[in-house]
Order: sequence, then structure tokens, then C-alpha cells
Amino acid sequence: MDFYLGVDIGSVSSNFVLMGSQGEIYKKVYLRTEGNPVRAISTGYSILKKDLTQNQQIKGVGTTGSGRLLAAVMLGADVVKNEITAHAVAASNLYPEVRTIIEIGGQDSKLILLKHGIVHDFAMNTVCAAGTGSFLDQQAARLGVPIEQFGDKALDSSGPVRIAGRCGVFAESDMIHKQQMGYPLEDIVMGSCEALARNYLNNVGKGKKIEEPLVFQGGVAANRGIRKAFEKILGMQVMVPEHHDVMGAIGAAYLAGEVIVHNRQITNFKGDDFVLQGKFSSVSRECNGCANMCEVVCIRRDGEALAYWGDRCKKWENSLQPSSRKTAGEILAI
Amino acid sequence: MIRVGIPHGLFYYYYYPWWKTFFNHLGAEVVCSNPTTRLTVDQGVGTAVDEICFPLKVYFGHVLELKRYALDWIFIPRMVSVEHRSYICPKFMGLPDMIRASIPDLPPIIDITVDVSQSDRILKRDLLQLGKLFTPRESKIREAIKRAREEQKFCDTLAGQGYTREEAIQLWEGKATHSFQTSILNLGVLGHGYSLYDSVINMNLINRLRNMGCRLWFPESLDEDEVERAATAIPKRVFWTLGRKMVGSAIYLSKQPEIDGIIYLACFGCGPDSLIGEIIERQIGDKPYMLLTVDEHSGETGMITRLEAFCDMLLRRKNHIYEDNLSTHGQYADCHKGTI
Repeated sequence: MDFYLGVDIGSVSSNFVLMGSQGEIYKKVYLRTEGNPVRAISTGYSILKKDLTQNQQIKGVGTTGSGRLLAAVMLGADVVKNEITAHAVAASNLYPEVRTIIEIGGQDSKLILLKHGIVHDFAMNTVCAAGTGSFLDQQAARLGVPIEQFGDKALDSSGPVRIAGRCGVFAESDMIHKQQMGYPLEDIVMGSCEALARNYLNNVGKGKKIEEPLVFQGGVAANRGIRKAFEKILGMQVMVPEHHDVMGAIGAAYLAGEVIVHNRQITNFKGDDFVLQGKFSSVSRECNGCANMCEVVCIRRDGEALAYWGDRCKKWENSLQPSSRKTAGEILAI
Repeated sequence: MIRVGIPHGLFYYYYYPWWKTFFNHLGAEVVCSNPTTRLTVDQGVGTAVDEICFPLKVYFGHVLELKRYALDWIFIPRMVSVEHRSYICPKFMGLPDMIRASIPDLPPIIDITVDVSQSDRILKRDLLQLGKLFTPRESKIREAIKRAREEQKFCDTLAGQGYTREEAIQLWEGKATHSFQTSILNLGVLGHGYSLYDSVINMNLINRLRNMGCRLWFPESLDEDEVERAATAIPKRVFWTLGRKMVGSAIYLSKQPEIDGIIYLACFGCGPDSLIGEIIERQIGDKPYMLLTVDEHSGETGMITRLEAFCDMLLRRKNHIYEDNLSTHGQYADCHKGTI
């Protein structure tokens, strides 16, 4: 049996899925990136790999997320896509009629509007990350509620308190204030969920027409309090897919499948030995070649440079031998 | 020879050929600072006052660079208005004073006021006076103004051929520049020229889009009369020169079927942008539109993700529309078919 590997390396979590050629999810892995995407990629792959038998092969690899280039170099990707396209592809395969996707991840939140299964418009959070996973993580830790139970705690609330959600810093001080005033914890938690949903709709959803069917995905979709808050504010049914936490990776796997099937090409996947045997490291330094002072990143495997990026003049990118060269430009080529 | 320094920023992008020709003809050597780098940005941001917009801060960096050269004058015009009944953002009015207050020990600043909102009588008088710094002969100054106008017009024509203003200036100075390749998308790209054509301020926006296979249309690429006509579509005339051109360009582009989408580059902290970006969004109907906001923040991931997603969206949309007439299955990896 053949599989497509989808990888989504995000700021907070790194997700991996093995998908069959009919779109069925064979295995998924959800890891915390913990600031070390290189380690997350090898760990994630080795966990996935455990269940594969000899005659089960990876036919294609797709990567997405802010660490998509890194994952592409370490694994050998056939397609490297931005998160918006990946999420839209995953959702529209699962729900062909979907019109709106709310995606809230570790540091990003996105709103994707679709027509006939195709992205029609999108928006991303700009300067403010209030209402994303990082903020919830921090609040859960501060209140001593495990993040997994944070949403359920909110559901116990009978009368949520009003929390100012315009800004994460203000939201926190408002929450502390309400705690000191003696409001019950679950009402404060639900209040924060509603504040975040309002903040999302006012910032990311500003001026956009949200229509049903509506899908809520990304790590924060696990939080049932936020889901309930969206349903309450929008007056719509909010669907959360079973694999909501790895939808980006699912989209990447779909896209890999399309490229492989359409181009009838053999995967660039580097294989187990390359991924698991070698020691990957990334080094970054400021290039002193000119006054631009680019922060150049070098990805190495056992000391051998695999890729460079971050240099405006492409001096470093082009310094690699053409055979092993994998420039960001090539990887990102549409 | 008298040396005049011109910072490589702000209205450099619009009027450098004019200024350079004028000073050259009067016998002065023109020294322009180098294109913006990270160093220019860091120094500018470190020196400028907090409240001004990003391109103004970068301009401070250029002045600091010029300070290192042995110059007799630095040319920092006080731009108030460059056409009848229209104005430049008021921050430009205070620019020479801000520079003087923040950067000590500069060579003397030529801060001629450019204000033709009512008439160009005073500007003409001041130009003659300025010319007298270099030559006593009034006829020579008049000739310099005439030449400057001609060169500016020539450079504007170059800019109309799909080049950015920076590229047009390079061409005008006789340097080779970018050649265009085939394109898969046609995009309108708008913004204040001093942000849009500076590859550090715009985070390499122009090159990124071209490398992704986009043909770009700037306000200068369009017919000026059409742009002005389109700009009258909104009830109240926009009184900023650059803002009006952008509104007009956006409305005009939105009516062109071959244009796939419009990108507006705004600066965080720019007053006019906060209005113009919004006005455009409301005026252009269904044409795909994306507003990108930049500031001194240097992380490029957010920019790259948005550009890729925008181009992906346009390509997939295009493919979908064609699907009704001819089969292009899989041409752009069609993804809504259920199975692979």
C-alpha cells in the first residue's frame, strides 16, 4: 500500500499524517515544536515510521506551515505550500460545500472564504496574536487548568463574565481583576473564550461575510469553549473535523498526491536513512558581505550543507553545487 | 566643484531626475546615498522620532549616510504640494526641521519649499534664488529648470513601461535593469512610491511577485487621464496627490478584466494609507484585493505566506473559471475532486 506524507511545522505544534490514496488517514502525529523544528521533524517522522511495513511506501511528501522549507529540505518534499492553501484543500475535501474556514493555530489565526471549493478570499491576523493558541496556553498555565481541559471548564459556566478581548495584555489584566473580585473560575474562562472569539471576528473577520457551512480547525478548535462562543456570536453551526488539529498536514498530503499523480513523477522523498541516520543542524549567522546584513540560515546534515536561505543576493543559495542545490526559489516555484 | 547630497528616499523616487539635472546643469556634483540597506534602516530608526512613518525613518538613515561624505549642501526639499489643490502628507512639511533637530553637524540644508497648491509663482522665484548659490547668471538657472523638466518627463515615460520608479531611474542613468519574462498572473501593485519601490521597505515585494511569475502594473504603468477620471468616482475628491492616484489606479484596474488582483502596500503609521487602503477596498467591488502592512519588523514569513496564498488563490480561481469551457483537469492541481 502506498501513502502520502503531509507535514505541517507550525510555531507551536508539528503535525504529521500518513494518508492513503483515497484520502483516508492512516496515522497522525501531533507534537509540540518546542522551539526546535529540526528535532520535531526527525522525532515526528520516526514515530510515523514505526508502523510502516516493508511493502508500504511513501509515494509523495508535502510540507506546509512556517517551517515548510526546513521540512522540505530534511525530508525531500514534492510540494511546499503555504498554510492557507493547505487548510483550504483539506477542508474542502472533507466538506465539499464548505464556505467558511476559521483556523486558529499557535500564533496565527486565519479566515478563509471559499466558493465552489476554491479560496475566494482570506485574511490573517496582523500585528496582534491575541486569541491564538499561545495566549490560551499562557492563561491555562496561569490559572492552573491543563490546556486540554480549558475548554471543558468553560462549558461549566452558567453566566460568562465580560472580558475585554481587544488585546491579550488587557484581557489578562481583566481576567485577573475578575478573579480578585471573586467571580467563579469557569465564568472567567468562558468569558475569555467569548472575548477571543469576538476579537477574532473583529480583527481577522473585519468586513468579511461569514456563511455556512462553517468549519473550525487548527489546534484551538479542540477548545470547546471557543467553539461554543463562535456558535453563540455567529448564530451558526460550527463544525469541527475529527482531525482538526492536523488539517494543515492533511492538506499538504493531498497536494503532494495531486502533484505526483498529475505529473506522473517519482517522489523526491529522501528515505529513512537520510532522515533518521543523519544528524541535522541549522546554523544562522549575519552575512557581512554588504550592508544588508542578511540573516543567512544554513541547514546541514552531518556537516554537509543542504540548503541556505535568507540571503537577498542569493550568494549563499547559489554557492551549493547544482546537483545538491535546493534553493528556496525552486522549492517555492508555483 | 560644489557637492550636493540627495538622500535616496521619499520624493527621490518621483523627482530625482529633475533635481539631479538641475544641480548638474548649474555645475554642481550630485551625490546620492546608496539604496536602502538594513543598516540604513537600523540607523534611521535609531535616530528618528518615534511617531513618524517607516519611510521617513529610513530617510533619516540616508541623511546619516550622506553626513559621512564631504558635502557642501544637503538637499531636503520641504514638499507641501506638487499640483494644484492637492497636497503631500503634512509630515513632509516638517521634514527638514526634524532632520535638523535630530542630526547635528550636518552640512547646510537646502530646504526649498515646494508648494504649488495655489500657483507656482513663489516656487519659481525660490528656484531662481536657489540657483544663485551656484551661479549669478539667471539665464543659466532658467535653462537648468527647463532641462530638468525635460529629463523628468523622459524618466516618467520610462516608468510608464512597466518598470518601478527605481528601475526607471536606473535606466535613465544608463544602467541596465530587469527584463520581463512571461507571466501567469497580472497584478496591480499600489502604494506610496517611496515605500513600494524601495526593496528593503517593501520586503522585496516586487521581486518576489515577479519571481512567482506575475506581471505587475503600477500607478505609473497606467494612462494618467484614465486614472484621474477613475478617481472622480468617489464623492469627495482625495486631496493627497499620491492617495488620489492610488484610488484612481485601483478603480481603473478593478474594471480591467485581464487584471487578476490588486495588492496595496501600506505602511504602519502612515495616516493617508489607513484611509486610502480602506477606501480602495470599498470601491473595487469583487476584484481580489490584499492589503499588506509593513513596518520596521523584519520577519518575512508573514509576507511570504500571504503572497503565496494570494497567488495560489488567483491561479486556482482562474483554472476553475476555465473549467467550464475546456478541460484543464490537474493543470494547477485541482483539489476539490474528493479523491486523488
